[in-house]
Amino acid sequence: MTTFLKALGNLFRTPATVPYPFAPTYLPDTYRGLIKHDASLCIWCRKCETACPPGAIVFSQAMDGKQAYHYNTHVCIYCGECVRACPKAGALIQTNEMAAPVTAEAKINHSWNGIVKEALAGREAYAAERRKAAAAVAAAKAAEKAAAEKKD
Amino acid sequence: MKRTLTIPMGSQHIALLEPLHFRFTCENEKIVGVDADVGYVHRGIELACASKFKFRQVSFVVGRVCGLCSISHTTAYSQAAERLLGLDISKKAKYLRILVIELDRLHSHLLCLAHTAENTGFEALFMQIMRDREASMELLELVTGNRVQFDYSCVGGVTRDITTDIEKELTRKLAKLKTDLEELYEVFRTNWSLSLRYKGVGALNAQQIKELNAVGPLARAAGVAIDVRSDTEDLLPWKEVGYKMMVEQTGDVYARNIVRFREMFNSFEIIENVLRGMPQGDLVTETKANPQGEAVSRLEAPRGELFYYIKGNNTPVLERVKIKAPTFSNVAAFIEIFKGQEYASVPPILASLDPCLSCTAR
Repeated sequence: MTTFLKALGNLFRTPATVPYPFAPTYLPDTYRGLIKHDASLCIWCRKCETACPPGAIVFSQAMDGKQAYHYNTHVCIYCGECVRACPKAGALIQTNEMAAPVTAEAKINHSWNGIVKEALAGREAYAAERRKAAAAVAAAKAAEKAAAEKKD
Repeated sequence: MKRTLTIPMGSQHIALLEPLHFRFTCENEKIVGVDADVGYVHRGIELACASKFKFRQVSFVVGRVCGLCSISHTTAYSQAAERLLGLDISKKAKYLRILVIELDRLHSHLLCLAHTAENTGFEALFMQIMRDREASMELLELVTGNRVQFDYSCVGGVTRDITTDIEKELTRKLAKLKTDLEELYEVFRTNWSLSLRYKGVGALNAQQIKELNAVGPLARAAGVAIDVRSDTEDLLPWKEVGYKMMVEQTGDVYARNIVRFREMFNSFEIIENVLRGMPQGDLVTETKANPQGEAVSRLEAPRGELFYYIKGNNTPVLERVKIKAPTFSNVAAFIEIFKGQEYASVPPILASLDPCLSCTAR
């Protein structure tokens, strides 16, 4: 009898489901969402890049030594390891914002792989340049020293 | 007249949650032979863990082995890695792990019960359980930050703390869920139509369970008292937080449902005790060492004993990661359980076994 009355009562109850996307779904403040990077606070130690399990963060480096942060929201698994690895408070924070769904136009895999490849090559070129400059400085110093010795 | 038929079921089938293939040999309606293939979702996770990822990252990789017992995998791996590193984690981290493992058990058991009801043909009950289950999903999202991929345990502890607001929400929603579950428990125990499909169907006795090496609710429903929580006090303090062994005797679908319900009621007690006795301490115990040597760890996942073996060679990348999921231990029992049953009983039996093929095939 109680079951029957309950079933009748259910006819007048509001649905248990949420009419998403017309109404928001449950999203707590503690939701693990997008990672935000603050370039003004970042000390460019690349610890987040090393810690990231899927490799969603990569730093590129221009020939003048300036670094830039690249982040792929679709590769990211939102685990927050980068935020925990970050030694500078506030440089990386995890928001409760959801990532936008991926579209075909974004060509995420192709363009992201390109960015990673370019970033690594750029870093390698910069390091080679630095090594070359250091070698030139060392050679100049050695030549100077040899010249000074010759004078004596 | 006797006629033998071979009926394939899966790997894609309306009654299956996961890609699993069965080939039933039937004599009229009776099943006489069963053949199973469980390797459809192999993803090479073990090799990836031992080649591509550093040992700290592996706890997030193994969390992706399974969508239902994500926390069990991450915790079991983290415990094994902590053993290798000789880390002694804080009691607070252990309590928080227990909290999430028990919340996870609630949502996993409710999913299994919902599908058992659905496969029996009781769609309304399925919807009711799934509606009530939403509370446990929301609580998991509140505590860990995600509905499915918890990423809560890491090597050395847990990744986030709970606040007083979260505690209040947990107490409030769990009280509501408990009353909902009591109502559902009543339906599963007393509904006459359900009893026709559950009682005496798909039964295994204690002797068979022992011979086939079955674990989890499947074994406990047949009177075999095995539970990792009752014999590993060193890794997580289960007895301290009020764990009780739940055993039924008949070993049929009905007994498995009842075991799951009683375990869920025990989970409420455990969560209550954890929240009440939450100790102070660090969330993460840090170390700079690399893993060296071999270690194993066991943990009671919702489906039974989960086993991890890891081997380190003093480099950041592990040499070997071996995962033995509870469903893998139960596959032999799956095959035996169907023999002699009516073909129409296959869907409810299958749902009551709660197979998790993502764990099995890794």
